[in-house]
Amino acid sequence: MTWQNYQLDNTILKADEALTLWQIEKGIIEISKNTLAIPIKLDKQRKGYVFHGHSKLVLDTIVETQEGAIGKPVEKEINEPFLMIGDTEEIQQHLTIASKEDLTSMGYENEKGFITKAEDLRRKFLGKRRMHAHQCRDENNGFIFAFPNETGKLDMLIAKGSKLVYKAIDRVFVSTKNKVVLKTPKEVILSSDQRSFVIKKES
Amino acid sequence: MFIFIVFYSIIIEIKQINAKLRMVRIKMSEDIKEDMKKLREEIASLKEQLRDVMERERRRSHGIYIDVGNRVRDYMEDVMESVAEGIHGELEKSIFIGPRGVRIIRKEEAPREEGEVEVSFPKVAEVMSALGQEHRLRILKELIGGGKYINELQEKLSEITASTLSSHLKVLEEAGLVVQEKVRGRYLITMPGRTAYKMATRITKFLERRDIE
Repeated sequence: MTWQNYQLDNTILKADEALTLWQIEKGIIEISKNTLAIPIKLDKQRKGYVFHGHSKLVLDTIVETQEGAIGKPVEKEINEPFLMIGDTEEIQQHLTIASKEDLTSMGYENEKGFITKAEDLRRKFLGKRRMHAHQCRDENNGFIFAFPNETGKLDMLIAKGSKLVYKAIDRVFVSTKNKVVLKTPKEVILSSDQRSFVIKKES
Repeated sequence: MFIFIVFYSIIIEIKQINAKLRMVRIKMSEDIKEDMKKLREEIASLKEQLRDVMERERRRSHGIYIDVGNRVRDYMEDVMESVAEGIHGELEKSIFIGPRGVRIIRKEEAPREEGEVEVSFPKVAEVMSALGQEHRLRILKELIGGGKYINELQEKLSEITASTLSSHLKVLEEAGLVVQEKVRGRYLITMPGRTAYKMATRITKFLERRDIE
């Protein structure tokens, strides 16, 4: 079994324009112009980035049932560094070397400040153990996003094609072509091919 | 003389055989009676079991067969005993039969009564106010058929302007009766929205019927 490390590059880049990192029918993640980025590498190949800028996550964590829709959309401004593992080809065409001014505008005195934060995030994401190569492979347009939340843990979004898993403090949302599951602190909703079940937790 | 002796011994032997046969017959008769008795008992027991199975099947097919676990059954028996003892309302406290099913409340749990439900009257007013407009009710009716984009709703409510439609949708959204997808932009009726619409139409129908009467 081969174990490999995902390591941060020491080059700090920035987005030369606003970019859409990921988009499907139910969700979208965008970064603004001048968002900072540090590449994540595996065997000298770019496998993802740690971004820091004014980014946005929109996700329709709504389940449609015959009795009506349940759930609310997620609409979050992400102003903290977050991590992405996935297809980097398209993105890297829009990244250029960041200047000191770009770092300053995001509140960093120097490169080290951002690298330290990115490294913390990388460690938190991968844990102390090393990740198996296939767990983070970017084949078949798969994406993994990790966003730090208020509790210091990570909200995770894993997507592959139309399949989607989102885990945050207040909800877990799983969506495939025909099936949707939404778990909130009050209820669990399962919907599959026109049939749906709602399991309410007694308060 | 010899012939007489032989004849006599044969008669005795025949008598002995007859006696044995009688004994066997009596024994067999008793055995058969015993077997018959056992068979009758078995048949009665089987009939009883069959009756039970049929009764259970009949109840199950009519949707009233409830197979509850021992603990729940014991608890139900306790409750029924309490009722028998004349504790008024015990059953009502223990079982709440709502429109969507039966809810069994544990003994230590406080009973739920309408008066105890805390209602935020401003929120109730907000929901009722959202329902209290013809176009908003029509929007809800359209959305019951499935999620719709704003232009689809505009087509259905062509007599109102786009800005009026948007403000109606905003009111419905704030009341929690409608939710908008942020990526695709479709409007969906929520579970409370559907319930509120049904409730409003049913009350109206009920009042209309009373007027006719």
